[in-house]
Amino acid sequence: MTPSIEVNELSIFVGQQCLVESLSLRLMQGTPLTILGQTGSGKSLLAQAIMGLLPEEMSLQGEILYEGQPLLTLPKAKRQALWGRALAMLPQEPWHALDPVMKSQQQVAEVFELVGGLEEEQAQDKAGQALAEMGLAPAKDKIPSQLSGGMAQRLAFLAATAAGGDLILADEPTKGLDYSRRDQIVALLQSRLVNGSLLTITHDVDVARQLGGELIVMCQGQVVEQGDAATILAHPQADYTRQLLAAEPSSWNKVSARTQSSAEPIVTLDKVALSRGGNRLFSDLSFQLHAGEILGIAGDSGTGKSSLGDLLLGHLQPDQGRIRYAETYKRHQLLKLYQDPPAAFSPHIPLGRLLQEVIDLHGLDAAQIPRLMTRLKLSEGLLSRTALEVSGGELQRIALLRILLLKPVLLFADEPTSRLDLISAQRIMELLVEVAREEGCALVLVSHDPILVEKVCDQVIRIA
Amino acid sequence: MKSILLNRLMQAVMVAWGVGTLTFIFMRTLPGDMAYRIAAGRYGQDNVTAEAAELVRQELNLDVSPWLAYLNWLWDLVQLNFGTSLISGAPVIHEVQHQLGHSLGLAFVAILLSAIIAFPLGVLSGMRVGGLFDRCLLIISALLRAQPVFVIGLLLILLFAVNWRIFPVAGFGTPAHIVLPALALALVLASVSSRVIRDSTHRVIHSSFYTFARVKGLSASQTFARHGLRNLSVPVVAFMGIQLVGLIEGIVMVESLFSWPGIGHGLAHAIFSRDVPMIQGTALMMGLIFVCLNTVIDIACYQLDPRGRLQ
Repeated sequence: MTPSIEVNELSIFVGQQCLVESLSLRLMQGTPLTILGQTGSGKSLLAQAIMGLLPEEMSLQGEILYEGQPLLTLPKAKRQALWGRALAMLPQEPWHALDPVMKSQQQVAEVFELVGGLEEEQAQDKAGQALAEMGLAPAKDKIPSQLSGGMAQRLAFLAATAAGGDLILADEPTKGLDYSRRDQIVALLQSRLVNGSLLTITHDVDVARQLGGELIVMCQGQVVEQGDAATILAHPQADYTRQLLAAEPSSWNKVSARTQSSAEPIVTLDKVALSRGGNRLFSDLSFQLHAGEILGIAGDSGTGKSSLGDLLLGHLQPDQGRIRYAETYKRHQLLKLYQDPPAAFSPHIPLGRLLQEVIDLHGLDAAQIPRLMTRLKLSEGLLSRTALEVSGGELQRIALLRILLLKPVLLFADEPTSRLDLISAQRIMELLVEVAREEGCALVLVSHDPILVEKVCDQVIRIA
Repeated sequence: MKSILLNRLMQAVMVAWGVGTLTFIFMRTLPGDMAYRIAAGRYGQDNVTAEAAELVRQELNLDVSPWLAYLNWLWDLVQLNFGTSLISGAPVIHEVQHQLGHSLGLAFVAILLSAIIAFPLGVLSGMRVGGLFDRCLLIISALLRAQPVFVIGLLLILLFAVNWRIFPVAGFGTPAHIVLPALALALVLASVSSRVIRDSTHRVIHSSFYTFARVKGLSASQTFARHGLRNLSVPVVAFMGIQLVGLIEGIVMVESLFSWPGIGHGLAHAIFSRDVPMIQGTALMMGLIFVCLNTVIDIACYQLDPRGRLQ
């Protein structure tokens, strides 16, 4: 049988720098192939190289065959003719990949109409059916910003495969999704295996485990391990694979318990209830939070975890019940660490200047910066770069540094690691806990990962 | 939608009061005796005598105190009574109505022309940012934007009317008369809006949804028609709302230059002859045109971009 995709000795360069080094793989119909690696390991470039979407400044060597036919020598127009019809690429960020002003159903229907050659009415009917099969019927007249991450990803899946492509390239299809929605997407991908082929690129070990089949582990553009997924994940040979598996929350050590103190709690919630947009999010919620204590909040997205944070930070008022603070805190003593680090920084200004502005604004001591840089294991040189020029993990640590400068009493961390790969996530989580204990700052940690909160937090609240 | 309209209505009331009060104050602080200027307007510069001025003063109650005059004027405004022109004696509302049609016509043709000029140019240069075409357009639009609108108008007259004799120099009557004044306004508008369109095009065609539409299987032209145009128009239409201030300001100059019998021309004439009710009426009407055009822009944005409707 001819492999759906065969890649031989593929290397990708930008200038003299090699981003992917002699990668070879064979994707067979019916057997999923998964590429596992951290961000920056060059794994996304592979999907772009197969599609022919590499940025112009990159060059490549080697060979890519689609059903035995060499792709790299094919004229551009012929390669583009394969898009959607043969090769379906599932986007990394479905919210950004969908047209922000077009209704859901139309985004699928137009493919049936323009590529499939159906009349407009038939195309609409067919798209309506497809949406209904995916459980998206209520969303057909909505636009992407009204959809949840899981819904957007299912819609993007429909749109990507509507032209009939049966070779699916899924680039980080589960990024930022919570557990139950992630499993739905994995099941959806598997359902296409009967008649098609599936190449998945992910940083999530669980996704690789669930998909099974073949596995390639990549690190900094190099293949470190390649073979049967179950075997590799059970008996990793390479050091890097071992590190990766050790960084999964289920392998973490439980943090040591907080030394109890009799001090007054920083904040006390007493039978608090909150509604947003007519929906009751939670009610009868009571807890106390002390200095240095870590509180975990677990629950799927849309259950009001972030709204609880807004309550604690004083941005929202409860419908019922009371929130009592030990004293009246200033606004910058109650702070939030955001989910998406690049969104929390101005993109074109050097990080050092952004930090300096905080120092100037609040009249702080600039000497704190080097001490905190060392504490957070950040190298000095990073401060002269902009937010776009450092990795997500480094940027999140700089965000934490910016917060620590202000000596917060309470820190609300909203999914601080869900957009980072496992190894950086574990590093950040450890630092976050250590620093909160040292500085005597109460930490509220929101996560969709119940195992993670269980390992890290002193007390856990589940919101359903 | 309802809240947009209600908001704009409130704004119209505030603009009417604000513009009216400001023009009232400015008129009062002008140097010279108003009665003499009005008499000059009525009887001609050579026939002004102290008696004629006194008659005007008596007739128009020009010696009441400023506060009383302001309150009288405000009360008239509430009743939508704009008074009569001091020069022609006709009710201001009739004169303004007459001029308004001409001005709106000119504004409409100018906006349309500017869109016809700016859209293709902006999209073309946005497709290849940094290319030769893009850089040339940047220089041309900077040069155009740096000129006051009457310089552009004069140049157009020199070239198209005096030199080549294609269009009439100035005046009103045939469709050919509207071409040069509208083009002068359109060039100024297009010099900036083409840049906004260029930036917007660049952003849209490099966005992930644009690439994804291609990856879904749509051709380049289908992708542009379905996903490009609408998305790139959203910020452009909103920007045109901001540009309208420039349009209103340009209309005063362009109408005077081309003797176009619109509201800007009327305003300039009224100022020269100290025709206070006409000045107030026309200034008020220009403020209201601004609010109306902004409402049209709001509705267009509302139709184009469903995201704003969610709140």
